Amino acid sequence: MKYRAWVSIGMVAILVLGFACMVLAQEKFGLKDIPEIKNKKAINMIVETGAAWDKVIEYIKQFETATGVKVNIERVASPVVYSKENVELMAGTGYYDVVYVETSWTCEWSDYLWSLEELAAQYDPKGVEGFQEDIQNISPVLLRCGQAYGKQMVLPFYTYHMGMFLRQDVYDDPTEQAAFKAKYGYDLKPPTSYKELYDQAEFFTRKKGDALKGQPLDHDLYGVAMMAGAYQINDEISCWIWGMGGDYATVVKNPDGTIKEFVITGKDKDALKQALTQYKDLLKFAPAGCLTANFDFACAQQGEGFAIIQPHQFASLFTWTADLLKEKVPDGRLGIYPTIGGQPYTGAWSLGVAKASKNPEAAYWLVRYIASYDCQKVLMKEGGQFSARMDLLLDPEFHSAETEYPLGLTCSYLVDIWKAQAPYVDNYWYFNTKAGGKVYEMQMNVLHKPMADASTIDECIRELVDKTIELTSKFDTVPIREE
Amino acid sequence: MKAETPWETRTDFAVVRRSTVWEILTSEKYFKWTLLIPLLVVLAIFMLYPLLYCAYYSFHQWGMRGEAIYVGAQNYRQLLNDKAFLEALYRTLKVLVICVSCELLIGLGLALLWSRNFPGENVVRGLALFPLLVAPLILSLLWNFMFEYDFGAVNLVLQALGLNKVYWWSPERALYTICFITIWQWFPFATFVLVAGLRSLPKDVFEAARVDGASPWYTFRRLTLPMLSPLIMIIVVLRTMWLIRLFDPLYGTTRGGVQTELLDWIVYRTAFVYFDIGYGSTMAIFSLVLTIAVCAVMFKILMKALGGAH
Repeated sequence: MKYRAWVSIGMVAILVLGFACMVLAQEKFGLKDIPEIKNKKAINMIVETGAAWDKVIEYIKQFETATGVKVNIERVASPVVYSKENVELMAGTGYYDVVYVETSWTCEWSDYLWSLEELAAQYDPKGVEGFQEDIQNISPVLLRCGQAYGKQMVLPFYTYHMGMFLRQDVYDDPTEQAAFKAKYGYDLKPPTSYKELYDQAEFFTRKKGDALKGQPLDHDLYGVAMMAGAYQINDEISCWIWGMGGDYATVVKNPDGTIKEFVITGKDKDALKQALTQYKDLLKFAPAGCLTANFDFACAQQGEGFAIIQPHQFASLFTWTADLLKEKVPDGRLGIYPTIGGQPYTGAWSLGVAKASKNPEAAYWLVRYIASYDCQKVLMKEGGQFSARMDLLLDPEFHSAETEYPLGLTCSYLVDIWKAQAPYVDNYWYFNTKAGGKVYEMQMNVLHKPMADASTIDECIRELVDKTIELTSKFDTVPIREE
Repeated sequence: MKAETPWETRTDFAVVRRSTVWEILTSEKYFKWTLLIPLLVVLAIFMLYPLLYCAYYSFHQWGMRGEAIYVGAQNYRQLLNDKAFLEALYRTLKVLVICVSCELLIGLGLALLWSRNFPGENVVRGLALFPLLVAPLILSLLWNFMFEYDFGAVNLVLQALGLNKVYWWSPERALYTICFITIWQWFPFATFVLVAGLRSLPKDVFEAARVDGASPWYTFRRLTLPMLSPLIMIIVVLRTMWLIRLFDPLYGTTRGGVQTELLDWIVYRTAFVYFDIGYGSTMAIFSLVLTIAVCAVMFKILMKALGGAH
C-alpha cells in the first residue's frame, strides 16, 4: 500500500512539474521580463490618432511605472507621420526615440535606425537569441518587411495585409449559382483569375428593380468596389502586379545575397500595363465614387450592400465591413480570400529605435513591450486591429463559436496567407530600396491619372518608370535602369 | 562748440564720453526702433531666414541627404516646362476667379439683406458665421461624405426631390465641387466685412439721393458700390492671397486626384512627399512671386479706390 501511495504521489508530482514546465516554456515576454533600465531619460514617440491606440497608451503607462522611464506620446494622423519623423531622423535631432514606421520606409530609414539585434546584444540579458526566440511568433512576412539588408530594424505591431472580400451569402445562393453557370458556363466561386473576376463583376452589376437572390433590389448594385482615388490605388495595383509575377522593378542580387541593381524589366512593364488596363476595365462595374475612394468608401459600399466584391482590401477592415453589412443586410455574410494571383499587398505599422535617441535602452524595451503578446492582445481586442503575432491570431479566444465570424475567419486568413506568401517577400522591390517611401507616394498620384482620364495608360507607365528611376537614383545608392 | 549727439556726453572736464548702449536704446531718437526690435527679430527668424533659405535651395538639387548640388537656374527652366505644374497653376487661377467672384456676389447680396434690422437677425448672422469657425480640413471631410455618389446626403436629397444623382467628384466636376466647398466656407467673410461697411456708410448722403428722387439701383450703383469699393478690394486682396495657397479642401477630398491638383498641393507633394527640396523651393518661390505680383496690382487698385472713396 505504502509503495502504491509513493508511486501515486510521484506521478502526480511529475505531472505537476511537467505542467509547470510547459507553462513556463510557453510564457510570453512581458513587462516582468524587462530588466532594470539604467538610463532614466524620458523618451518620445509618435502614435497614430484613432481608437486602436487609446487602450495601448494605458499599457504604456504601466511601462512607465515599472521602468521609471517617462514616455511622451505625440498623437498625429497617419498621413503626416512620415513627414514629421522624416525631418527629425534626417536632421539627427533624436527627438523621436521610438520611431513609428510603415514597413515600406524601413530600408529608407535604415541609416537612422538601430538594428534591433544590436540593441538586444547590448541591453537584453538573454542576448540576440532571447530576442529572436520571442519574435519567432511574429508573421515571417511582416518580419521580413521590417528588415533592411538582413537586419531587423523594426517590429510590426499591426498589419494591413490585403485580401479579397466578397458577399459569401450571394456566392452560396443556389439561384445566383444557377444563373451564373447558365450565363458563363462555369461554377460561381471566388475568382482566382482576372477573367473570372471580370465575369463576376459584370454578372453582379445590376440596376434597381433587378433581382438579387430572388429578391428585387431597391438600389443599384455594383459588381466591385475599388479604391481608385489618389491615395490607395497603388496598394491595389501592387496586388495585381505581384500576383502576375511582376513588380515596379526587379531586384537583381549578387551570389552573396547583396543587391547588385534594380532593373525595370519588360516583364515588369507588361505586368503593369496589363494591371492598369484590367483595373480600368473593372471600373465599369464599380460605383462612380470609386474615382475618389479610399478604404472607407469601398468598405462602406460593400457594407451598405451596394457592392459584391472588393478585389483588394485591407484585411484589418474585414470585421468592420462585416459588422456594417450585418446591420444593413441582416442575412448578408462576407468571405475573405487571397487576391488574384495570391500575393496581396502586405505590410504593417511597426516600431523601431532612432540612432540619435538619447535613450536607446528604454526605447528598445518599449518596442519589445508593445510587440509583446499582452500589448498586442489589447490592441487587437480593444483597438480592433489585427496583430502581427501568429500565436495571438491562433488564440482559441478568437476562434470560438461566437468569435469565429468575422474575427476568427480573418485571423485564419492572415496566418494562411502569410505562410503562402513568405517565400516571395524577400524579392519585393519596396522592401529592398531606400526610395520605397518616396516612390510609394509618387505612385498614388501617377497611377490614379489614367483612371481619371488625366493620362493614357502608356503615358502613365512612362511617367511611373521615369519618376521611379529619378527618385531611386536620388534616394538610393543601388543603381537602377530600365531594360 | 560741437553739437551733442546721443553717443557723446560732455563732462565737467570737457572730455567726450561715449553713451552706453542702454542710453542709446532709450534715447528719444531711437526708442521707437528699440520697441520694434523684438518684432524685427521674430520676422527675421521666422520669415526672412526661411525665405532666404528657400531661395537658396531653389538653385540647388537636394533631397535632404548629403550635400546640396548647385544647379543654377535649372529648376526654374524645369518649372516652365513642367506640364503638371502649369496645369496646377491654370487650375489655381481658375479657382481664384470663380471663388472670389462668387464670394463677392453672395457676400454683397447677403450684406445688403442683413444690413437692415429684422427679427432674429442675431441668430441668422451667428449661424452664417458657422462655416468660418469649422476647421477647413474637417469641413472638407464632411463635404466629401455629403457629395458621395451613392449614399451622400446631397444626392439623397436630389433623389427625394425626384432628380437624378450627380457625380460630384467626376474629373469634369471635381474642381467646381472644390470651388463650392471653398465658397461655402468663405462667403461669410465677405458678407460680414460688407455688412460692417454698409452699416458705417453716412446716412445723409443716401437721404439726399432719396430726396432727389434717385432710384434704388442708381443709388446702389453710384453711391453704395463706390463707397464700399475699398472694402471690396480688401476682400479681393486677402482672398487672392489665401486662394493661391488653397490646400485643405483637397486634403480631405480628392488629394489632388481627378484633375484637381492646385499650386499649393503640387508644392507640398514635391517638397514634403518626394522631399525634392530644391525643386519644391523653386515652386514655392514662384508661388510667392505670383502672390506678390497679383497683390501688388490689386493693392494699387485698392489705394486708387480708397482715394476715390475719400
